[in-house]
Amino acid sequence: MYAVLPVLEKFLLENIYKLAALPKLALITCLLLILFACKGEIPPLERKDHPLPQDAEVSESEPGLYGGILVTAESQQPRTFNPLVAEDAYSSQAIGRFLNGLTSYHPLKEEVVPELARSWEISSDHKSITMHLRRGVLWSDGEPFTAADVIFTFKALFDERYPNRYQGQYIIAGKPIGFEKLDRHTVRFTTARPYSPFLYVIGFIGILPRHKLVDAYEQGTLLQEWSVRTAMHESGELVGTGPFSVHSFRPGQRIIFEPNPHYWRVDSRGQRLPYVDYLITRFVQDRNTATVLFASGQIDAADIAPGDVVGVSRNAPLHGFTVHHRGPATGIRFLWFNQKPGVNEDGRPYVEPHKLEWFTNKYFRQAILHGFNREGLIQSVYFGRAELLHSIISPANQRWHNPEVPKYPYDPRRAIELLEEQGFEFREGGQLYDKHGNPVIFDVYASEGDDITPQIMSTFRENMRDLGIRVRVRYLDFGTLVARISRHFEYEAAMMGFTGGADPSGGRAIYLSSGRLHLWNPEQEEPQTEWEANVDELVYASEEIFDLEERVDYVHRMQEIFSEQLPLLYLLTPHAYAGLKDKWRNVRIPAMGSVIWNIDELYLDREH
Amino acid sequence: MLAFIIRRILSAVPLLFGISVLVFILMAVAPGDFLDVARSQEDIPAEYIERMEQEFALGEPWHTRYFIWVGNVVQGNLGESWIYRVPVTELLWQRIPATLVLSALSILFALCLAIPLGVLAAIYKDSIFDRISSMFAYAALSIPEFFLALLAVMFAAQTGLFPTGGLSSVEHEFMSFWGRMADYAHHLVLPTIVLGMGSVASYMRIMRANFLDYVRSDFVTTARAKGVPEGRIMFLHVLRNAINPLVSGSGFILATLLSGSILVENVMNYPGLGQLIFEALMRQDEFVVVAAVLMGCVMLMLGNLIADLLLAWSDPRIRLEKN
Repeated sequence: MYAVLPVLEKFLLENIYKLAALPKLALITCLLLILFACKGEIPPLERKDHPLPQDAEVSESEPGLYGGILVTAESQQPRTFNPLVAEDAYSSQAIGRFLNGLTSYHPLKEEVVPELARSWEISSDHKSITMHLRRGVLWSDGEPFTAADVIFTFKALFDERYPNRYQGQYIIAGKPIGFEKLDRHTVRFTTARPYSPFLYVIGFIGILPRHKLVDAYEQGTLLQEWSVRTAMHESGELVGTGPFSVHSFRPGQRIIFEPNPHYWRVDSRGQRLPYVDYLITRFVQDRNTATVLFASGQIDAADIAPGDVVGVSRNAPLHGFTVHHRGPATGIRFLWFNQKPGVNEDGRPYVEPHKLEWFTNKYFRQAILHGFNREGLIQSVYFGRAELLHSIISPANQRWHNPEVPKYPYDPRRAIELLEEQGFEFREGGQLYDKHGNPVIFDVYASEGDDITPQIMSTFRENMRDLGIRVRVRYLDFGTLVARISRHFEYEAAMMGFTGGADPSGGRAIYLSSGRLHLWNPEQEEPQTEWEANVDELVYASEEIFDLEERVDYVHRMQEIFSEQLPLLYLLTPHAYAGLKDKWRNVRIPAMGSVIWNIDELYLDREH
Repeated sequence: MLAFIIRRILSAVPLLFGISVLVFILMAVAPGDFLDVARSQEDIPAEYIERMEQEFALGEPWHTRYFIWVGNVVQGNLGESWIYRVPVTELLWQRIPATLVLSALSILFALCLAIPLGVLAAIYKDSIFDRISSMFAYAALSIPEFFLALLAVMFAAQTGLFPTGGLSSVEHEFMSFWGRMADYAHHLVLPTIVLGMGSVASYMRIMRANFLDYVRSDFVTTARAKGVPEGRIMFLHVLRNAINPLVSGSGFILATLLSGSILVENVMNYPGLGQLIFEALMRQDEFVVVAAVLMGCVMLMLGNLIADLLLAWSDPRIRLEKN
């Protein structure tokens, strides 16, 4: 037994003089806590009254009141504020807050709407488009916006010194689009052949202020302009026509936008939009953090993963928000077989010839999809918050998605039937053999990225075992997977996903046989199969048709071919959910794109 | 003294070059490259990717890129980040202050807590205090930092006493100067504790062991025999001798704190170097990775140098130069 008490007593007695410091410490702590507690509120913004532009656009939404701060969170920060440098969605999003394109895509109407161009005319041969710019629009620093800015932007875009991702999109039939200034507010674009997605793609690039950037352009340093450094130290240099200007940017922490005092949209009462005083985007480490922040009421809007819906909704009454169901997500997820013929540099075939024979057989591919219990996955992994994907365009894209394509529900009997018709047979132990006597075994590569992939893959492996097929699943780092499927072509099957966009012209790299992401057999000189030639024709033809209904029809036919041939075995598409605080008015949540796409129209309900 | 410092700095140069070669080789051996993200996006044209491959010399073997880099370094520039298109030095400078403040505070926190606790544990050896403190030390040593960070975030989220992460709050830009300082302090409390906790434990153990060694030495007996007061013996003579290993070890603190901060910063969403390095590693933004690794090495060497100098200052028996 220790003599605990005497020791403690002695210790205390000897050190009692030190305890005298305790009250002081307590005092300091209290003072600090008070300091922490009285952190300032953000003062309301004082708005300057600038005259409205002649061609101001009047918003159709209900007029609101000024004030309020909207806080969002993103898992990545912008890497640049220069649209010619940006290649990731997070930079593009930040740039879109202060720059406008000539046109934009309205996610609810699902059509192209005017932005900096107030109207346009298309010539009778469909090869020249005349755009009338909004008159009286000013840049956020007060300089007038004119056709010279548009011409400057496109000159910079096609300049050899400044490689950027838009160049390829504006090269039509091998020729860069032509652009010329007709007068101070009119610009004419010409294309080498009729190109119906033109109005859509022309809106991608934010129009740059010539007066700010022309010097850098001449000196050849345009790509160094408008970096994160500019946003940190001279945010006033980021001049735009968009709803916001950059107030301040702190890398790794947050970006604060304030309303652009010269913005060109107004409400029906003549109040200049946007209503919010500040838009703040916090940068967090990952999506889970954003979900936690939203569930604890610290941010106003967030995308919620299907698995988190129940947990987050539990806090809804406490913090006054609603989790909105947006329907299927825009992305597609699929599994595919390598169909690339030929040999690599070492003379080895990319795919063993007998396997290539299976993989290029559409009935084999159909059988595999029939044998895959995707319905079960929806229940077990997504708790029903997902649906089967049948087409190369997600059902979220209502305008273009074709619901009438061939479908392959879970039907192992049909799968076996199809396999046997193609000469496959079962031998001892239930193993499947092809007609040359090779056992059916293949490897599937997947990226270890998320926690759902392993669950999908293990279900797939079990289902294939039931068909007598041995599947080996290999997990790779994302970079390795991309290198394998796009450069070395040394794989048998793989699983991946694409994010998907609004207009199908964004998917050309996948659809066209010459495309870089025509995954199963990319960058073909000539289409190698008849159906691929058909798809190429449909894609090219659809891009020359200006009648929307007719164009949709072409895209529907293309989807039918894809679902019939099944080069990509579509998996499923999870449902998308978005959380938003109830205090915001004018909220209209589209099936695709950002929840706060109409951020300039959102206003704070004073009742809340 | 000056000659010693110069010699140490010069001897570091070949080492740094060796490390940079190693980093380039490792980056080349690692699968994939910087453009993988662009390659997997359906709307980025192939021509653009080819242009970028040429611009970054990504199709070339690693030594081509290495010589480009060395060429830059000789001109006093560490290259440009491929992600941000900003000079690497500029990018690092954005983050260094935050990390330095956090590291300095955690060292301070660790020393302020570890030295008195270690001394007390040694003086009251085998008492209940000693036992409790060593239990605490072993527990703190065995908990990995990132887990402690997770616990801290949970604590902050549950109690609401502290922010769940970051360096400043949303209202920061709109505060007065003192409000901003208080805001920083409030955000720094938890990361400092998390990062310093492991060091507290280990230094406390070192302090205690050394202290015990010296308590048994002859000069203590002599002093006691001469009738020097016990407190004077302990805090003036024994402590002075026992603190040497801590001083020489503090060079490593800087380096270990930096590596620890990569994890802690990522968990606690702290906008320091750790976050930047992690992102650069993930995306294979080569020049940033090289610069960050080299900086870590420089910190380690500087830390050791400073520790040696401090040791010479605190212990007159040590001579830095042989003559």
